[in-house]
Amino acid sequence: MKFIVSSTYLLKQLQVLGGVINNSNTLPILDNFLFDLKQNSLTVSASDLETTMSSVIEVDSDSEGLIALPAKLLLDTLKTFPEQPLTFVVEDNNTVEISSNHGKYALAYADGAEFPKAIELTEPSSTTILGDVLATAINKTIFAAGNDDLRPVMSGVFFQFSPESLTFVSTDAHKLVKYQREDISASEVAEFIMPKKPLNLLKGILAGSESEVKIEYNESNAKFTFDNSELICRLIDGKYPNYEAVIPKENPNVLSISRSQFLSSVKRVSIFSNKTTHQIRLKVAGAELNISAEDVDYSNKAEERLSCAYQGDDMQIGFNSRFLVEMLNNLSSDDVTLEMSLPNRAGILTPADGLDEGEKVTMLVMPVMLNG
Amino acid sequence: MNKTILHLDLDTFYVSVERLIQPALKHRPLLVGGTSDRGVVAACSYETRGFGVHSGMPMRMAKQLCPEAVVIRGNAGTYSKHSDVVTEIIKEQVPVFEKSSIDEFYADLTGMDRFFGSYKYATELRKKIIKETGLPISFGLSVNKVVSKVATNEAKPNNQIKIDFGYEKPFLAPLSIKKIPMVGDKTYQTLRNLGIRQVKTVQEMPKDVIHQVLGANGVLIWKRAQGIDNTPVVPFNERKSISTERTFDKDTIDVVKLKGILTAMTENLAYQLRRGEKLTACITVKIRYSDFNTYSKQKRIAYTSADHILIPKVMELFQSLYNKRMLVRLVGVRFSHLVSGNYQINLFEDTEETLNLYQAMDKVRQRFGDRAVLRASAMGAKTIGRMQNPFNGQPPVVLAHRKQ
Repeated sequence: MKFIVSSTYLLKQLQVLGGVINNSNTLPILDNFLFDLKQNSLTVSASDLETTMSSVIEVDSDSEGLIALPAKLLLDTLKTFPEQPLTFVVEDNNTVEISSNHGKYALAYADGAEFPKAIELTEPSSTTILGDVLATAINKTIFAAGNDDLRPVMSGVFFQFSPESLTFVSTDAHKLVKYQREDISASEVAEFIMPKKPLNLLKGILAGSESEVKIEYNESNAKFTFDNSELICRLIDGKYPNYEAVIPKENPNVLSISRSQFLSSVKRVSIFSNKTTHQIRLKVAGAELNISAEDVDYSNKAEERLSCAYQGDDMQIGFNSRFLVEMLNNLSSDDVTLEMSLPNRAGILTPADGLDEGEKVTMLVMPVMLNG
Repeated sequence: MNKTILHLDLDTFYVSVERLIQPALKHRPLLVGGTSDRGVVAACSYETRGFGVHSGMPMRMAKQLCPEAVVIRGNAGTYSKHSDVVTEIIKEQVPVFEKSSIDEFYADLTGMDRFFGSYKYATELRKKIIKETGLPISFGLSVNKVVSKVATNEAKPNNQIKIDFGYEKPFLAPLSIKKIPMVGDKTYQTLRNLGIRQVKTVQEMPKDVIHQVLGANGVLIWKRAQGIDNTPVVPFNERKSISTERTFDKDTIDVVKLKGILTAMTENLAYQLRRGEKLTACITVKIRYSDFNTYSKQKRIAYTSADHILIPKVMELFQSLYNKRMLVRLVGVRFSHLVSGNYQINLFEDTEETLNLYQAMDKVRQRFGDRAVLRASAMGAKTIGRMQNPFNGQPPVVLAHRKQ
């Protein structure tokens, strides 16, 4: 087995795949990339058992072979090369010899047959979506997903496909984001929960991408195919909480405000809030929003006043400022609307402008229970 | 620069207050503490000490030693009222003070020498307290908190003492090692087994030797024996945890009753958290069996102050802790890792009804006292409940070891 490939081209592909590999693996073979050579096309795969990703790379070769090469060693070496052709030759003594313009390097390889096989999806349903749209959907939702091992369903993003629209939801029980695209649809109704790790990979690869992504899915797995790559991952098993039921329907108190102003005020005031709870207090009366925070332990205190457009009763509500900052940071509109009903019910944050046709973002943030 | 630290201690505080209320009790042997079978002496008058009575002793034993003594149950509310009067006087007169317990105060008089003469000033302060409140008080004046405290104990009853700068070591040298704050029964025994009786011996020991025997605490004891202590006088002490525990008059194996009491405790402590706008992240359940073996178990949780989260967790801990099928003498609950903040509402688990209910119950408690509304399962526990906000920076108002 022998092939010749451009060093930077290979590095670019391997770096993407490297994101799949965990730092510590129970199975040593998972520390490797699988190289599957078939004449001029080399398929490289990486896996952590939950997620498997592979890319097809064009190389110059006329042989075939299947080997597993240590990922870290290979990446560290490739990073140091300026653009040049590299020749990979499999030697008899279980090593691969790489020849560059500078010299020769030998790496021990493992038998490619030991590498876990990628899962084949049986009877999948499918839909296609533009790469950039998917990346945006992930970007808008993934930050709100939880980290609680006890509630695995909330640690992923909920994909809800229907003939009318595609909906992406994430929540950690304190905040919730619902991202809806009414301009795209699937052939049939389907729901599944995607784990965070493959989504983060996809987000990185697909940002700004103009190519189509084909999503295939069944009960337990999902497969994303795009350009020369595919990603197969196991879905999170379980029932996603009924999020629609917790979105308050009637919100008579509506606050409209400049997003950047609101964000910078919240950020500034929250520096003075308690370092553990990050609690801030919003007071709205008339056309004035008062944001305050206090850290009793250190006698730190801050208060800011902002002018806003407000319709509704005067009210006072407490929030964890980190949630607000995350949400406001994630939006890109000039103005935002915060709809509220009562101090112990969710606040609904929506962008007032800057959305594409058919795009809808709803962010929910639960308050803290203030005394009296 | 050398500091001038004053330590004030009200002599036999509870006894003095009782005598103030009932002057007939003057010069008569008097015991304050629990009167039940399990009660212990919280305070005893000097007259009873001759019989071998000391505080912390089972009340029954004290009564046997001194049958003619008058026994009073005591009332924490009255004591804290009198303590507050004393606090007010001290607060007016000194620049920085710390109330370290219901009857003890530290004051930092550093720099006042130039104007008044610290000793003279302290003497006047003491006279003023005695005149205005009628309560006997002693003080010790020295360069730091530890030496002043030891000095006060030497001065008692109703007297005062000043340790001149540079004479801390010779002052401590002849005393028993028991007089060093921190040396309790256990440490005392360990040191006695080494042949150490006087502070002098500790002073002459190399630091490493005591470190080997008692570890880091030993080094602290060694420093204190040298008269070295740099702890500042802090006016406000943040509560690090809140807790309640209950010793039963009669050991019990009634799990329903135990759970009821734990529920009452948790409910009350959770209310204290909410009232003080605090959250807890660690709960501990303690259980003592009739053979005095004590076990406790703790658990980290997400920051909360909600009954419906805390009560099941406490029950869970109790279930895993109570496994001996034996009579139980004491149960207790503690919340620690406290931070300021309010309960973060959960999207899926909290309904509006529960939240409104909590707010309504807390409002009722605010107005009518913390036992005004209770869970039915907690009603059996009659005496669980605090009178005071634990987060006002004051030391806890408890009758020290009322029960054993």
